[in-house]
Amino acid sequence: MSDITTERYVAEAKKGIADPVLQKALVFLQDRYGRGAAEAYRRLPEGPELRLTAHAIREKAIENLDVLLETLAAKIRGNGGHVYFAETAQEAVDYCLAVARRNHVRRVVKGKSMVTEEIGLNPALEAAGIEVIETDLGEYIIQLAGETPSHIIAPAIHKTRHEIADLFVQKLGIRRTTHPPELTQAARQALREKFLTADMGTSGCNQACAETGHITTVSNEGNIRMATTMPRVHVAFMGMERIVARLDEYEIILRLLCRGAAAQNIGVYVSYIGGPRRPEDSDGPEEFHLVVLDNGRSRMLADPQFREMLCCIRCAACLNACPVYGKIGGHAYGFAYSGPVGAVVTPLLTGINRAKDLCLGETLCGACMDNCSVNINIPRMLLALREKLAYGDAAWQVVPVSRAECLAYRAWSWLIRNRRLYEIGLKLAAVGQRFLPQVNGMIRRLPPPMQGWTLSRDLHPLAAESFMEKWRKGM
Amino acid sequence: MRVGDEMNTANQEKFMRRIRAALGHAPDAVRDGQGLFPQAPSAAALALCEGVRRRTALEREKLFDRLTAAAQPINLHVQALPDAAAVAAGIAELVQARRPEWGDVKQVAVWSHPLIERLNLPRALGDIGVPVITTAPITCPDDADRSRKEREDQRREIVASYIGVTAADFCLADTATIVLRNRPGQPRTVALVPSIHVAVVTLDQIITDMKELFALLQWDEGFRQEGLTRYMSFISGPSKTGDIEAIMVHGAHGPKEVRLYVVTG
Repeated sequence: MSDITTERYVAEAKKGIADPVLQKALVFLQDRYGRGAAEAYRRLPEGPELRLTAHAIREKAIENLDVLLETLAAKIRGNGGHVYFAETAQEAVDYCLAVARRNHVRRVVKGKSMVTEEIGLNPALEAAGIEVIETDLGEYIIQLAGETPSHIIAPAIHKTRHEIADLFVQKLGIRRTTHPPELTQAARQALREKFLTADMGTSGCNQACAETGHITTVSNEGNIRMATTMPRVHVAFMGMERIVARLDEYEIILRLLCRGAAAQNIGVYVSYIGGPRRPEDSDGPEEFHLVVLDNGRSRMLADPQFREMLCCIRCAACLNACPVYGKIGGHAYGFAYSGPVGAVVTPLLTGINRAKDLCLGETLCGACMDNCSVNINIPRMLLALREKLAYGDAAWQVVPVSRAECLAYRAWSWLIRNRRLYEIGLKLAAVGQRFLPQVNGMIRRLPPPMQGWTLSRDLHPLAAESFMEKWRKGM
Repeated sequence: MRVGDEMNTANQEKFMRRIRAALGHAPDAVRDGQGLFPQAPSAAALALCEGVRRRTALEREKLFDRLTAAAQPINLHVQALPDAAAVAAGIAELVQARRPEWGDVKQVAVWSHPLIERLNLPRALGDIGVPVITTAPITCPDDADRSRKEREDQRREIVASYIGVTAADFCLADTATIVLRNRPGQPRTVALVPSIHVAVVTLDQIITDMKELFALLQWDEGFRQEGLTRYMSFISGPSKTGDIEAIMVHGAHGPKEVRLYVVTG
């Protein structure tokens, strides 16, 4: 498993908010892609309602996951490809390492994939003495800088051209330039050499189609096509939910994926891969492996509250609409998945208590659902997670975040149902509040542990006479 | 990899049992997927296929206009030319106008394809002293050593070429998408590795969108035999990236320039 830093959410969020480069980048991203996706949905011939159709398609796929995966696997094997079903991240990584060893792989070129981030493929390959090169330009920059991606589709958005120029001078030995086309050309040249000499290429899978037996990859740069065409061996990784039954359903999902991800009608390259090259073909990989990953997904599948999250196609449209992501950026989420999707998936995959701040940090405003390419009710699931954090949950091994808070609310609930006691409480509080700092007739600060309430607002003091008292007196 | 396959099967069985249990089925339940995959075309799919077959010349011209409009914002250059000779002349002009991205040698790689053969590029480009490499199918696929050598040689020539010329199976007008299917003698690298990709199609290969394409590939008698093939690619314009300060740059990894010639005659 790759480094998970989800416990540092609050500290990392503060760092993000204080980073002026990131702030500018986030405004731009959300303005262009967030709004862009919404407009792209509206321009669909079927209108934005196509998202509801897509949701139904995804739901049906999830309900028939066993049948779809077996159909896909049989077709790929029929074409001479290998399919491996991995229960855990470790199994997936071990399989890839075994394939690499058998093929004497020394260099791997990676097509961008979230699921390989999830399973921590890079460090495992590197530990085995294999050179791993990210080939998506943004990911490559991040890898050279020794950082982690801050956005699913724009991983290096937090870096300026000046930082990238310095990085390239240092790592690629180029003459310094801050001109993006020249920087891109430098990376193109460096990576071309890697593509031509790599022994293995890896990729993710945007969506598989069971009926035809293909996985598909979408990219704008062409790096995934290179990584899956030039090396002798191609290993593709997919989360077990990334599949639909039929080609006509796939068509709808693809259109929404491209719109949600980058407000495009279609990505520059969409590749349908059904197996290795045939003996009479002159290019393409000799070996093709597909690794299908569970890694906690079957647990989500078994829980009716969270099954819907498996409908997600990882387009990242929710990130581009989320007001919280728009301020704190992607690093705070501390795992492969950031933004609203990360706030649901990360707790479910890595532990709800461990990632508790993620769902507490979101606002429940619903912008993620409105911008979701398949209309997933993310706020509902954030609430469900919060409920588990408040009261505990045996099935998910959640302990209440604060027993004191839990107790306090129980007491409060009991108090407001006992009118007499409640009124005594009010009287006491009305006396007590005189000792609190006041400005213009408003309470400026509440005492601990309630100080958070008055962090950014003043509070009305309790009235001298309550409404009920007035009512009894006939107003 | 026969060795690992037994382990794969055992893993798969466990994997499926877990999914079935999560879905509330008996772990051993036999689920046949009835109704999930259509055995016969829907009326809508048939109508789409029929629509393509009955397309009139006027409708084809309109589709071409749609293609041109969609191509413009993604920087795909589209040009209609009356015949093969005009396309060959167009490619010769391109070869003269463009310099190689890597090194100084001008070389062009072209597919083995009837439409491309009609262009007679070896002659058109031979006149200006530019070698043309035609990508032949592997001659003896059963001989591992010989076929490896053939592949290596061909790959070297394609990598050394700065322009790659391919035909295409279809063009989708709505998204300006070039659709290539996998066949021997028509390697995918020709449309990927050279700096410039030139695709040649005939007017009747332009269809409306993915819906029509998928209906044809699944249900049309002429196309369904091959289906999607083992590797199908959609190419919509030149390679691009916006990863440095979100400024759009062409030619991240794939071709920097893509030109589509449509033979109208």
